[in-house]
Amino acid sequence: MKKIAIVLAFALLLAAPVFAAAQSEVAGSVGFVPSKNIDWYVTSSPGGGSDIFTRTLMDIMVTEKLVNDKNIVIQYKTDGAGEVGRLLVSNMKGGTQADHTLLTFNSGDLMPMAKNTNNRFENFQPIAHLAVDKHLIFINEVSPYKTFEDVIAALKAGANITLAGSKGDDIGCHAALAKELGVSVDQFAYVTHDASSAAITAILGNHYDLLISKPAAASQYVEAGKIKPILALSTSRFPGNLGSAPTLKELGYKNVEVPNWRSVVGPKNMSAEAVAYWSDVFKQVSAQDAWTKGYIEKQKLVPDFMGHAAFKAYGAQFQAEYLASIGKDK
Amino acid sequence: MENFTMLLEGFTVVLTVQNVLVVLLGAVLGLIVGAMPGIGSLAGVALLLPLTYKFNPTTAIIMLGSLYYANMYGGAFSAILLNIPGDSPAVMTALDGYPMATKRNRPGQALFTSNMSSFIGGLIGMIILTFTGPALANLGLKFGPAEMTALLLVAMTSIGWLVGENPTKGVILTLVGILVASMGMDTLTGSPRFDFGNIYLLGGIPFTPFVIGTVGFSQVLKLMQDRNKKVEANLSQKLTIKGSMLTLHDIKRLLPPAIRSGFLGTFVGVLPGAGATTGSFMGYAMQKAFKSEEELGTGAIEGIAACESANNAAAAGSFAPLLALGIPGSGTGAVLLGGLMMWGLNPGPLLFSSQPEFCWGLIASLFLANLITLIIAVGIIPFMIRILTVPVKILVPCITVVCIVGSYSTSNSMYGVLVMFFSGLFGYVLDRNGYSTAPMLLAFVLAPLLESNMRKSFISSHGSLDIFFQKPIAAFLILVLFAIILTPVIKFALKKIRPAQKSS
Repeated sequence: MKKIAIVLAFALLLAAPVFAAAQSEVAGSVGFVPSKNIDWYVTSSPGGGSDIFTRTLMDIMVTEKLVNDKNIVIQYKTDGAGEVGRLLVSNMKGGTQADHTLLTFNSGDLMPMAKNTNNRFENFQPIAHLAVDKHLIFINEVSPYKTFEDVIAALKAGANITLAGSKGDDIGCHAALAKELGVSVDQFAYVTHDASSAAITAILGNHYDLLISKPAAASQYVEAGKIKPILALSTSRFPGNLGSAPTLKELGYKNVEVPNWRSVVGPKNMSAEAVAYWSDVFKQVSAQDAWTKGYIEKQKLVPDFMGHAAFKAYGAQFQAEYLASIGKDK
Repeated sequence: MENFTMLLEGFTVVLTVQNVLVVLLGAVLGLIVGAMPGIGSLAGVALLLPLTYKFNPTTAIIMLGSLYYANMYGGAFSAILLNIPGDSPAVMTALDGYPMATKRNRPGQALFTSNMSSFIGGLIGMIILTFTGPALANLGLKFGPAEMTALLLVAMTSIGWLVGENPTKGVILTLVGILVASMGMDTLTGSPRFDFGNIYLLGGIPFTPFVIGTVGFSQVLKLMQDRNKKVEANLSQKLTIKGSMLTLHDIKRLLPPAIRSGFLGTFVGVLPGAGATTGSFMGYAMQKAFKSEEELGTGAIEGIAACESANNAAAAGSFAPLLALGIPGSGTGAVLLGGLMMWGLNPGPLLFSSQPEFCWGLIASLFLANLITLIIAVGIIPFMIRILTVPVKILVPCITVVCIVGSYSTSNSMYGVLVMFFSGLFGYVLDRNGYSTAPMLLAFVLAPLLESNMRKSFISSHGSLDIFFQKPIAAFLILVLFAIILTPVIKFALKKIRPAQKSS
């Protein structure tokens, strides 16, 4: 009998650190664990960038058993260019459903939302900011320009130059770049495409002068020698095959960047316990190899994890700056 | 010849038991998805995509490719038998398919025509894809905003063929189509248009529910009118494959439009932003310019052949930019592209050289899917035409449910259903008053493409019209446009002058 007690005590002693570790892992989430299936809203179509982001996160959360063995169901809400889905999540009443609702949200969603509707970043609970995408300017094989300095010189000489790109953050980049270079947006014009792939198609066919794109969409074409990066819209050069492009500072201007960040938010009425739980879950996901290697590295993003509080401040500031830039008060 | 050996290697990839089964599964699912109004290839591929993440990429794309492909066959079934297009490319099929099935009492032959033309169009598209793949994609690249604008203007003139007996009514509906299409977010500046402060309207009127409504649900309303009509008994004699066979004369009529549309469709499929729907609309409109034995719109074999062949060819053609350049030619292509990334492939100009097994496997699977789908589709004709013997009172609630499900599934919300109901009522009112909805739908499809391309051209030319005349392709197309528009004017003028000369 005594022997058994000693063995038991010993076993408990051994197990103690395990329990402690387990406890510290869920320390931030006292009071909340998923008790039902999770509804994860995506406001763009299946197969796109946001969908791939969401599915990668979801796969890791399920395989690493971070959601208490509950299922995650992706809900695509694309009505009203995504505004309907965002409004639905932001208006959700507090309770179990709100605690089990997530929304994929990036700056490309925030900008049209703030511009066209009254919905604001403050109407959501920021959960986790996961990664940042930055932009580069490219030329095609037959371009008369060889470097971005050539482009600047041409602009100064009064040439009309057209830049092709996608929506949202790409447009923001163009506006900021034109401002920094001191040229009008009539002379340095921008043509919006539905997706980066459409803009790339147009530049491959030599229908515009320049292309703006995030690295992931363009990288294959750089590899194939079809396009060449000539400017990095970032505070430092990009790695790998994009490294040849200088930043604006190297050319004697101030750096220009309008990052597209990718994040996850919840309904405004999500309980504080649930916010803490989810924030912690995404923190764990962001440390997984499947995330850093399988997503961030492959899609050429910059990892940048922010939890609830940091992301809340960052998002609010981003929104304020954006609203100011388009001349809206709040 | 190198491409041919690559294709044969592709067949060795495809012809494993597992992959053949997957093609079979894709074909059956595609036919079902295609025949259901509203659930088109886009929804079908999007729904199945998550299931394929765990497959190996070749098997996954083979399944989705054959599903996409079979879908083009399936849409015609409900279009011909019920006058309710199963997917948007089949809108044109209904114009001649339904009259042929009901008025001319040849439902089996109508389905047979559609299946044969689909097969021919698809085959032409695939052969072109096999031998010119990357070159074909490069031809697509030549079409920038200026060229697309000119081409779309030419395409817009084809509305003139569709306006029917009363040109005024046709023009009014064309304008309505353009107006409805301009609702929602402006694609170039992102500013809202005609949203009336409604958050749903911010995204515009979705195409699929709009089509299901104006064509499908309005047909349900029409059926409800004569719900007590007895089903004609003479159908039951022909409910076999034998009774559905085409005569030699039919085949002779079918071949020229099917082959012409096969080439046209492949070309349209390669163009940026234009998919199978545009292909079938243009194929049908082109047939109007050629001779048909019976007038188009009254159940002519030529009409069915022209659009069915064009949409399958366009589906095949749209794989060229997708595989050779990583550029999606249509919405469905964009979903497939997302799939490629999820499976760990990097779609782009290097795909053909870095993943030949995958690319040629996919192309080979399209050939296989084309054959398998044809066999299945022809095989089920006798069963499908039995739908015509179903009493209207049973048919109406069933179709209504399918319409609702289809329009709900486009955005998973009741918004689509509302759009479907209202456009259904609208379509019914139009039909009762002798308006044909075809010009409206064509304008609805082409107007947004035309608008965005025209504005892109003007931004890059800084407002100058020169851009349409400096580039050879655009200049040629503009000449064609003038020729089309001016021919009737000159003919008319000549007629006026000649009698005048005679009398003098």
